[in-house]
Amino acid sequence: MSLAASVSSPQRASIFAGKFVPRLVAGIAILGLWEYVVREFAPDFVAKPSSIAEVLPGVISGGPFLESTSITLAATAEGLVVALLLGMVLGVLMGRSLIADRALRLWINGFNAMPMIVVLPLMSLWFGYTTYARFATIVFAAIFAVIINAAEGARSVPKDYIEVATSYRSGRFRMMFEVVLPASMPYLLAGLRLATGRALIGAVVAEFFTAIPGLGYFILYNSRTFHQNEAFVAVILLAGFGVGCDMLISWGTRQYLPWYRRDEKSE
Amino acid sequence: MFAHIKRYAPFVLSLFGGLALWEIAGRNSSPAFLVPLSATLVRLVQLVETGHLVELFLSSASLFATGFVAAVVIGMPLGLLLARVRLLREALDLYIMILYATPMVALIPFILSLMGFGFVPKALVVFLFAVFPILYNTIEGARSIKPELIEVARSYRSREWALWREVMVPYTLPYTMTGVRQAIARALVGMVAAEFFLSSSGLGGLIMGASQSFDTAGVFAAMLIIGVLGVALTRAGLMLENHFARWRG
Repeated sequence: MSLAASVSSPQRASIFAGKFVPRLVAGIAILGLWEYVVREFAPDFVAKPSSIAEVLPGVISGGPFLESTSITLAATAEGLVVALLLGMVLGVLMGRSLIADRALRLWINGFNAMPMIVVLPLMSLWFGYTTYARFATIVFAAIFAVIINAAEGARSVPKDYIEVATSYRSGRFRMMFEVVLPASMPYLLAGLRLATGRALIGAVVAEFFTAIPGLGYFILYNSRTFHQNEAFVAVILLAGFGVGCDMLISWGTRQYLPWYRRDEKSE
Repeated sequence: MFAHIKRYAPFVLSLFGGLALWEIAGRNSSPAFLVPLSATLVRLVQLVETGHLVELFLSSASLFATGFVAAVVIGMPLGLLLARVRLLREALDLYIMILYATPMVALIPFILSLMGFGFVPKALVVFLFAVFPILYNTIEGARSIKPELIEVARSYRSREWALWREVMVPYTLPYTMTGVRQAIARALVGMVAAEFFLSSSGLGGLIMGASQSFDTAGVFAAMLIIGVLGVALTRAGLMLENHFARWRG
C-alpha cells in the first residue's frame, strides 16, 4: 500500500535530480562520521570508508570475489525462476478456483508468516551442507510472496475480460496466457519484487549456515579473518543488487504498466 | 448458526486436511526426514514438561521485544521528524531506501566480530531488521501529504503543535503502521537469525540444537511454535495496520 502512491508519481523520477546537494552533503556527513568513529574508537580491522575504498579495486578484480558473486547470483536466479514458475501455477490456480483457494490459503498464509530462515536447519538435515540446501531455502523464501500476489492478481482480473473471452469461445489455455496472466501482470511484478529480495536473503543466509561458497560465505570468511573491509565490499554489492532490482522493477512497471498504481502485498 | 458453519467449514477442513496429510506423510517416510504430527506434538509436550520450552520462549520473546520496541521508539519519532523537515528528508531518503533494500543478514558477521555474543548485539540485529521499514514507510507517508494541506494550515496561522496533531500525524501514521507491520515480520526473521548466527539461544537455538543432534521431531516442534508465533504476530500487525488505515484519505 505504502509504495503505491509515489511510485508512479513524477516525484520518484527525480531521484537523482533536484535533491542532489542535500543528498551529497548527507552522504559525506555519514561517511565522515563513520570514518571518524572507527578511527577514534574501534580496533584497526574494523571496516571504514577509506579502507574499503582502498581495497575495493583489488577485491572486485580478484578471483574469489567474482566467483562468489557469480555463484550466489546464479543460485538466486535459479531458485527464483523455480519459485516463480511453481508459485504462478499455484497462485493462478488459487485465484481462479474457489476450492483450491479454500484448501490452500490457510497454509500459504501460514508459511508466508513464518520467518523463512527457520527452515535452514531442516534443509541442512534433508540435503546436507550442500548447494541443494541453498536452492531449497531460496525457493522456500521466495515462493509464498509469488503465490499470494499471483492469486491476488488472478482474482482481480475484471469479469468482463473473462466473459468476452468466453463468448469468443476462448479455450482455457489461451484464456490463461492471453487474458489472466497479462491482466495480473502488475501483481506478478509486485510479487517478483518481494520474492527477489527474499531469495537473495535466503541465499546469503544459507551460505552462512552451510558454509558453501558464495557471497554469504565470502562475507563470513573475510570478517572472521579480520578482513572486514574486503567483506564489506560484498555487502555493498548485495545492497546495490537489492536496490537495483527494486529500481528495475519499478522502472518496468512505469514503462509498461503506467496506469497501474502498485500495491504491495504480503510483506 | 448454519451460516457460521458454512463460513468456517472450508478453513477447518483445510486445516485438518493439511494436518492429516502431514501425519500420513510422516508415518510413511524415514523419521530422519519427516516426523509425523503426532510425534512432533509428543516432543512438544516433553519440551513443555521439562520447563525448557517456556524458558526458551521467554528468552526469544525478550530479544524480539527489545529490538522491536527500540525500532518503534527510535523509528517513529525520527520518521515523523523526517516527515516534517523537508530538507532533512530529502537529504536522507535515498540512504534510508538503500538500507531498506539491503539484506541486513549480511551485517551479522560484522556485528558478531565487533560486539560478540551477548544480548545487546542480538537485540541490535533485531533492531536493524525492524527499523528501516518503519522509517521508509513514514517517509512515504510524509510524501503523500498534499502541500496544500500544510499551506492552508499555515494561512490559518496554525501553530506547530496543531499542525502536527491535525496534519502530520494523522496523514503519516497509517503509512508508519504499514511499516510497523513489515517490521514485525522482519524482526521475527532478525530474532531467529540472531539466535542462529550470534549465539545459540531461545527458539532458534532449540532448532539449531535439535538439528545438530538429528532430533528431527525437535526441529519440527520448534518450527511449529515459531510458525504459530509468526501467524499470530502477522495477524496482530495486520489488525494494527487496518485500524489506522481507516484514516488514510
